[in-house]
Amino acid sequence: MRSSEKKQVEESKKAASNGAVVSDINGVPSVPDSAREDISNATSESEDEDWHNSSSDNDGDSSSISDNTDESSDEDDEDTKAINEAMLDYMGALEERRQREALGSEEEEPRSARTEVESDSSEDEVPSRNTIGNVPLHWYKDEQHIGYDLAGKKIKKKEKQDQIDSFLAHTDGSKSWRKIYDEYNDEEVELTKEEVDMIRRIRAGRIPHAEVNAYEVPYVDWFDWDGKGHPLSNAPEPKRRFIPSKWEAKKVVKLVRAIRNGWIKLDKPKEKPKFYLLWGDDLKATEKTANGLTYIPPPKPKLPGHEESYNPPVEYIPTQEEINSYALMYEEDRPKFIPQGFQSLRQVPAYSEFIKERFERCLDLYLCPRSRKKRIDIDPESLIPKLPKPKDLQPFPNICYLEYHGHTGPVVSIAVDPSGMWLASGSMDQTVRLWEVQTARCCRVWSLDGPVRHIAWNPRKDLGILAISLQSKVLLLDLELGTSDPDEVSKLLALNPSVMDNDGDGALVTWMKHENLKALEVKHSQEVLSITWHHKGDYFTSVAPDANTRAVLVHQLSKQQTQNPFRKLQGRVVTAMFHPSRPFLFVATKMHVRVYNLVKQQLSKKLMTGLHEITSMAIHSKGDNLIVGSKEGKICWFDMDLSTQPYKTIKNHHEDIQAVAFHTAYPLFASCADDSTVHVFHGMVYNDLLQNPLIVPLKILHGHSKTGGRGILDCCFHSNQPWLFSAGADSVIKLFCD
Amino acid sequence: MAKERKKLKKKEGNAAKYTTRNKALNRLQIKLPEFRRLCILKGIHPREPKKKFEGSHKTYYHVKDINFLAHEPLLETGRALKVYKKKIKKAQAKKNWSLVTRLEANKPSYSLDHLVKERYPSFIDALRDLDDPLTMLHLFATFPAEASYKIPAETVNNCRRLSLEWQAYVARTHCLRKTFISVKGIYYQADVAGQKITWLTPHVLSQVVPNDIDIRVMLTFVEFYETLVGFVNFKLYHSLGLKYPPILDSKLEAEAAELYAVMRDLGKEAHEASEKEKDSNDFNSLSDTDTNHAQEPVNTESRLAESRARLASLQDRLSKMAKPEGNEKLLGVTDDDENMEEDENEDDDTRQCKALFKDLKFFLGREVPRESLLLLIRAFGGVASWAGDNAPFEESDEDITHQIVDRPTQGHIFLSREYVQPQWVYDCVNNRLLLPTIDYLLGRVPPPHLSPFVDNEKEGYVPEYAETLKRLQTAKEGKVLPLPGEEGSKDTEQFLESVVANRTESMEELRKTQKQAILEKTYQEELTKEIAGIPFSGSIQTMDRDEVDGEHVVEKEAYSHPETMDEEPPSAIAKAMMPRKARKLYAAMQIGKQKKQAEIDLLKERKRKSERKQNKKVAPEIEFQHTFESRCKASG
Repeated sequence: MRSSEKKQVEESKKAASNGAVVSDINGVPSVPDSAREDISNATSESEDEDWHNSSSDNDGDSSSISDNTDESSDEDDEDTKAINEAMLDYMGALEERRQREALGSEEEEPRSARTEVESDSSEDEVPSRNTIGNVPLHWYKDEQHIGYDLAGKKIKKKEKQDQIDSFLAHTDGSKSWRKIYDEYNDEEVELTKEEVDMIRRIRAGRIPHAEVNAYEVPYVDWFDWDGKGHPLSNAPEPKRRFIPSKWEAKKVVKLVRAIRNGWIKLDKPKEKPKFYLLWGDDLKATEKTANGLTYIPPPKPKLPGHEESYNPPVEYIPTQEEINSYALMYEEDRPKFIPQGFQSLRQVPAYSEFIKERFERCLDLYLCPRSRKKRIDIDPESLIPKLPKPKDLQPFPNICYLEYHGHTGPVVSIAVDPSGMWLASGSMDQTVRLWEVQTARCCRVWSLDGPVRHIAWNPRKDLGILAISLQSKVLLLDLELGTSDPDEVSKLLALNPSVMDNDGDGALVTWMKHENLKALEVKHSQEVLSITWHHKGDYFTSVAPDANTRAVLVHQLSKQQTQNPFRKLQGRVVTAMFHPSRPFLFVATKMHVRVYNLVKQQLSKKLMTGLHEITSMAIHSKGDNLIVGSKEGKICWFDMDLSTQPYKTIKNHHEDIQAVAFHTAYPLFASCADDSTVHVFHGMVYNDLLQNPLIVPLKILHGHSKTGGRGILDCCFHSNQPWLFSAGADSVIKLFCD
Repeated sequence: MAKERKKLKKKEGNAAKYTTRNKALNRLQIKLPEFRRLCILKGIHPREPKKKFEGSHKTYYHVKDINFLAHEPLLETGRALKVYKKKIKKAQAKKNWSLVTRLEANKPSYSLDHLVKERYPSFIDALRDLDDPLTMLHLFATFPAEASYKIPAETVNNCRRLSLEWQAYVARTHCLRKTFISVKGIYYQADVAGQKITWLTPHVLSQVVPNDIDIRVMLTFVEFYETLVGFVNFKLYHSLGLKYPPILDSKLEAEAAELYAVMRDLGKEAHEASEKEKDSNDFNSLSDTDTNHAQEPVNTESRLAESRARLASLQDRLSKMAKPEGNEKLLGVTDDDENMEEDENEDDDTRQCKALFKDLKFFLGREVPRESLLLLIRAFGGVASWAGDNAPFEESDEDITHQIVDRPTQGHIFLSREYVQPQWVYDCVNNRLLLPTIDYLLGRVPPPHLSPFVDNEKEGYVPEYAETLKRLQTAKEGKVLPLPGEEGSKDTEQFLESVVANRTESMEELRKTQKQAILEKTYQEELTKEIAGIPFSGSIQTMDRDEVDGEHVVEKEAYSHPETMDEEPPSAIAKAMMPRKARKLYAAMQIGKQKKQAEIDLLKERKRKSERKQNKKVAPEIEFQHTFESRCKASG
């Protein structure tokens, strides 16, 4: 049985080599079945033991083989199996080896070499030396021989190599991979290159022999494929193929109706002209948009200047240094466009930012909020208030006329006597000097036992008394001027005996006689910073800010009595002043000015200055207007009839205002500050209540130099001339005349 | 229990008037890109409420604007298109190509006509906002139709066509007023119906689209601008009595060469037809299409011929604009065409512009920007040709008066014409006079090109060349030869004008003359001293003393007017009386002023430096001459 099968295989092989149609191994019907069977058996990897199953895939003529196998005995069956197995194993081993070689692994499983099938082709048929035929080899397993040769002699088994040797032989020999052990003949066979190639081709599912051309005869496809869903269907055509479709008919009716009714238009609609006359002839611009909002047109881009020219004037092109300096600028300060000059038009390159700029413009157009902004076109000069010319408001102190030299320390305070003949000045050098105004001659010098803080001249012309604050004392000094009445003065300055009685611990102040000067001394508990006289010359106030409730005291010279008008004071008092004609007392604290009615003993007004820190205050001779100077360099003018808010606030100095002063006769007032300037203003107060005061800045007087961080410490007007005295920290007093 | 408080909708105030962008998106139920597109097309922009009730970082829109958007048919169209696109995509995914082609063919289209009318209810409104559209279209006309930029070739072609139509109108009506070559491109300003329209065209070099821009935004803008400019062009052409669109661009582009042959024939026909037209329609202006209807009794054939002729003539013009390789015979036709225009409507300016290049014949070199120059020359009444196959006339034409070249040297030079650089044309146009060509001749560095958009007097700095131009202009107006030194004495009025205009300048000059006088004086003194034989060192001493004396004198003078010296400017004192608000405003204004002054000072400084440099360059030559002469004297 085995031989018959072999024959069959051989035949098929021959047929293949002779140019029979052998194309694809799997599923091509035109291949002779026997041949295909064989090849598929020999090559397929997936099917190992039971090739019957796999063979059952084939249809048609494979029955002959299956018949064969059915008929064949168990042995035969086993035999063929073995051959096939051997072949497959060999193939698998080959593959494995190749892989292993690729991987470079050393280990190898012991290989069970089996008999190799003799080459099937008749050409390379070599008679095998064993003649036992197609019998199971395990029959000879335990024998000393493997079979018999042609002469009938036993063929002895070869000495078996041990496994290590065979392994070494495998690994060492470069050709060992193509050596196969032929169990049937008990010998090693080396496959030739052609044989290996053939095996490889079989495995790849190609025709074993490379020289065979399978496509010599053109393939004739007798089946008409066109329009056939599946090539092989013998099913009869269904009935529905032959009768008209009801639904299609319905659909057609629908369409026809739609066309008839004009629901479906078969013709392409006529193309309307793309552009037409959209606007009429009215040439009026509209301001409103369709939604009722005012139309805000996009702002037009700025038109180019000379600098954008391709050939700008030389002066528009920045130098290289300037361009380099742009790199140091902040990004936003850097000029966006750097002018360039080209000698001729042909050298102008494409502007690289063009598209970017257009894109940014697009973004601006749809992303930027638009709003109408009223453009204020103001001439800056129109902002400056129109004031009368200073020339028309003369006389006012204009130039430095005299300088009074003599003090060695900063002149803190100055006072002019009511007649205007004399000027008294108190300084940090512990002296008080008396000057003749006209000649700048220093008439007398009083050396005192401490720095002078403030001096104030008694307003009575016939007295000639000067009040001096010396730390915690107030001296009432008789100046012994020729004009004064010496009897009255000495009477006033004589210590009142009743005062002596009063002297006690609970007293506000102590009145006493000065030891060596012709003066009366009023001793306070704290340092006195300011003294002001009542216009009648009998009363005076002293301000000692640190004395808490006793900060403001009112003294009466004639009776040598002292009162404390306030039980409680709000804030630190800076200065206190009498109203020039009515019984009012102005008390300036740090931020406010309080006006007290002395008769009713109550607060009548509180002026809100809005300043940070008041330094000085002056009252107009009529008493209804008041100016306040502050540390931030501002002057506030209060019109007390108007309101408690300042009528005008003027910021004129850069530094602390030290003093402000009103002229008693002329409509002038002045402020002096640490920036060593005196600002002179025209401050006209009208009798008409409806007319607001007129304030005109007139002059900024310079001349003093700054010493020790301080400029001008005091200023005061001459009592009847439009002259101004200023006392500087540079120990000079200056007289400014018109 | 807490009372349930209903959140009431605001009925007045900013919160009722304005809405944020996100709220608007929610209200309209669209995504941001669609919203952006709609806003661009509808011209809706954010607004600035007085109080930004949801924070200053948000964008606010007017509620009315958003309501307006909500009623926009485009919103629905957009949605429908989106759905339709999905259909196509689905069909593509299923490889149902027949369906895809069918869907593509029946794609619903939309138009923006109603938006144009809505945004610009009157024609003037449209003209007023035409700057950006024109610049955009001119830019897109130069774009490469490259797929990688995602700019459809159709858009580019359309932009090109529209911009050419616009240019043709401008050239035909002579309404171009100013032009300026800047580094960025070439600016033009036209005066159409009293509206000044300025647009910028890039230099004719290839554009590179940068990566960091969103071309979709620009394309949306262009889409609207195309519609807008189309309608504007229609209206403008209609007002001239011309058919619009003038040519089928696609045809022209497709069969370029054949079309020219056809047009040559048409051109002849048109010429004859236009003659006929003139005869028959002397009594009837051709400005309206209505006139055509009025002429119904005239046989239809002639009418057809007429319209054909008119079409053809315009085609010529446009083809000439579009493809410079036009045909010579067409030029005559177009000229005739122009003569037909009504002259009554022209104002002085137009007449002046029209006559500027009259009777001048230009020939453009290969290297000059042809389109721009053709527009200019045509708009100002000149005739131009160029180096090309189908140019109207050859380079060798004897009648050519000016040849515009921009190259270092010229091979063959015709003596009958002047070779000028392109800047000459631009400067002539801006100054409305034919400038002397001497400075603009071949191979020279032309004088600075100045912007016609700047008011020099207002800026406070007048470039030197601007003065020269002004002098030339006044000279032309007064028909007086320009004599820089004497022009004032000849015409006192002019002199006064110039003095008023250039007061600063004159002050400087005065100072210069004074300086010169002083120098001369010292020179004289030195001379007298030399004659007297006073040694040089002695003279120095005396001079020193003199100088000291002089200083004394100055001091004395200063002291002799102490009041004037001491007098502060009254404003300085008055400033103290300014209220705080005014004071701060004043200070801010001063800052602006100072900046401007600083700029002017910088310009003057640079000018002075450059002049000094030039003088230095010149000086060595003079020195050399001196030495040469002295040597000659010594030897001879």
